[in-house]
Amino acid sequence: MSARGSQRSAAERGAEAGHKPPGLARDRTALAWTRSALNMAGSGVLIARAAFTANLDALGVASAIAMAIMALLIWSHGQTIYRQRGVAGTFPYHQPGALRLLTVATVLTAMVAILVTVAI
Amino acid sequence: MSDPPFEVDPGPVQPSAAHPPVPDSGGKSAEHRRGPARWLAWLTRIERDLAQIGTEPDPRNTFANERTFLAWNRTALALIAAGLAAAQFLNFNLHGLRLIIAVPLIVLGGALALASYSHWQDSERAMRLRRPLRYSWMPLVLTGGIVVIALGGAILAVVDRLLQ
Repeated sequence: MSARGSQRSAAERGAEAGHKPPGLARDRTALAWTRSALNMAGSGVLIARAAFTANLDALGVASAIAMAIMALLIWSHGQTIYRQRGVAGTFPYHQPGALRLLTVATVLTAMVAILVTVAI
Repeated sequence: MSDPPFEVDPGPVQPSAAHPPVPDSGGKSAEHRRGPARWLAWLTRIERDLAQIGTEPDPRNTFANERTFLAWNRTALALIAAGLAAAQFLNFNLHGLRLIIAVPLIVLGGALALASYSHWQDSERAMRLRRPLRYSWMPLVLTGGIVVIALGGAILAVVDRLLQ
């Protein structure tokens, strides 16, 4: 029984801590990360299109590439924590670093958007 | 020979007489680093600080808090996209008028993106300390912002038509 003591699932650890089974909450969260990644990729297309309209081609290409990379990071982070939260059960579950990065990327997007808007 | 018993994870140690709060040496060493390394150290320090507060809440609550943050972030990106669309497709006679619609939408999006992180952090801290969650002013700002921008857009459209 305790031969796999270090391999206990998140559910087993949660039960020890008095938590109820998480059900599909983990899946819902992974899907939310996927939606966020798609949103970031879509915003990248919109920014690039607006930048080309404003004759800011270099800015358009740079933001499209940056936001495509960001979308890939968001998507892969969602997949990574989905696996981590299911198997390792490593507390704490929260991930402020990723949320901060996403916030910084969104604020940068807003700044570029204002620049492009004024230039059109 | 019998197997060793189950190890139960004690979770984060609560500050007490036996376990005084750990002085934050990580923050000081981060001061000596430069450039990206310092920024990364700052990111991870926040993470450790939150993890040392209180006790781990039910994971469902942590996940729900995270989904709420992500939903606010998508809302912020949608507002920015709406501002970009307004800048490109609004066709006022006075060319600069579309900025009055587009820029507030984008600024509202950026502000909500920042606020959603701080709201996430507040909620996470409250849950770890088993305290009630604080009310957020973000829904009010979002609703008020959209109403004001919509009314402004309608008025601008009429004025632009009358000046033609």
